[in-house]
Amino acid sequence: MNEVYEELHAALQQGAPVALATVAATRGSTPRRPGARMLVRPDGSFCGTIGGGCGEAEVRFEAMEALKDGRPRLVRVDLTNPIDGDDKICGGVMDVFIEPLLNGAPSSPAAPLV
Amino acid sequence: MTGDLAARIAGEVLAARREGPPVLVATVIAAPDGAAAPVGAKLLVRPDGSVQGALDGGLLDAAVRSEAADAFRRHGVDSLFFALDGARLTRQQAETQSSYQVMLEVHESPATLLIVGGGHIGKALAIIGNLCGFSVAVVDDRPEYADPERFPEADQVLCGDFVETLRSFPIDASTYVVCVTRGHRQDEVSLRQVVSSTAAYVGMIGSKRRVAAVLQHLIEDGADPEAVARVHTPIGLDIGAETPEEIAVAIMAEIILGRRAQGGGRPAGGSALAMRDVKRPRRPGVSPSERVPPADD
Repeated sequence: MNEVYEELHAALQQGAPVALATVAATRGSTPRRPGARMLVRPDGSFCGTIGGGCGEAEVRFEAMEALKDGRPRLVRVDLTNPIDGDDKICGGVMDVFIEPLLNGAPSSPAAPLV
Repeated sequence: MTGDLAARIAGEVLAARREGPPVLVATVIAAPDGAAAPVGAKLLVRPDGSVQGALDGGLLDAAVRSEAADAFRRHGVDSLFFALDGARLTRQQAETQSSYQVMLEVHESPATLLIVGGGHIGKALAIIGNLCGFSVAVVDDRPEYADPERFPEADQVLCGDFVETLRSFPIDASTYVVCVTRGHRQDEVSLRQVVSSTAAYVGMIGSKRRVAAVLQHLIEDGADPEAVARVHTPIGLDIGAETPEEIAVAIMAEIILGRRAQGGGRPAGGSALAMRDVKRPRRPGVSPSERVPPADD
């Protein structure tokens, strides 16, 4: 098992809240392919990578938000706008799904965990 | 989705990644407000078609289940668009109407790269195979080569007679076998053990003459000619590899091509067919294996 899933396994066993970010789809040229994953803890520390740079910072921020409000969300990371930061040179768009796992289980709007 | 159900799905995912069988998890990642399937809803589909969880509990579940066989063949992660009645949509269509975006993830234990021979090429292959996410196993009959300290990137390092060790090694459809031993005698006895297995890939290094002789012996000894014909040789994509490390890259490239291109995968840079064509225009007499001394250690 890779590092992200080892960490996820440990978090589930300990009941520690973590958010799992997964690249669900890409268009154009992007640093990572669908299936790249990153695990984010409430303090913003993380393991794994979805490609680094500004896009990753954005996903980390959204993951921390998701851990606060308990809502899964889809983030479109747009790497096509050159004036938005000069390290976004890839030119593609990534759909990144972020899922908070509170107390060891994914939450959803249908049945929020208390 | 209740917390209990989510925990059960997470448990099955972790079990599948540890030791299989694989599972497919479909997750609604975008949905119209108030839709029957909310963002975060999950449906787990097993290879036998049985399920755990639900998306909308109806048409969307059925649509996703009909995509399962394809998804298992592609191995990785993909995302598909569906109308509220379950009809497949393109991304463009999805942008102009109420629709779901569903992420399909196949979770499975890493494929095994079984490296027969712990010499220079075996060493380079172990590193690259580990990098590419394979569970690496190395077999050699010499303790100084079948040494876990020589192969920190391998999950298993087996020291023993090639025939005996390979006979007891569990080879299945997610096992990739590469024979890169120090000599044709070892290659031949090893290949004989694995040639008729269900391995996803069997490749053997060696010059054309040496390989042809080995394959001929196998057929004379009663091996299935079709199985013998499936042995990848000359081994690796023709990228003009010279060094053991470059040859390991060429072998891994061939393995990745077989794994990803099969069943509609889309290797970067072209169609699967175009990629396969790369291998054909081999310059005569310069296959990578022929430039390697017979003993690769």
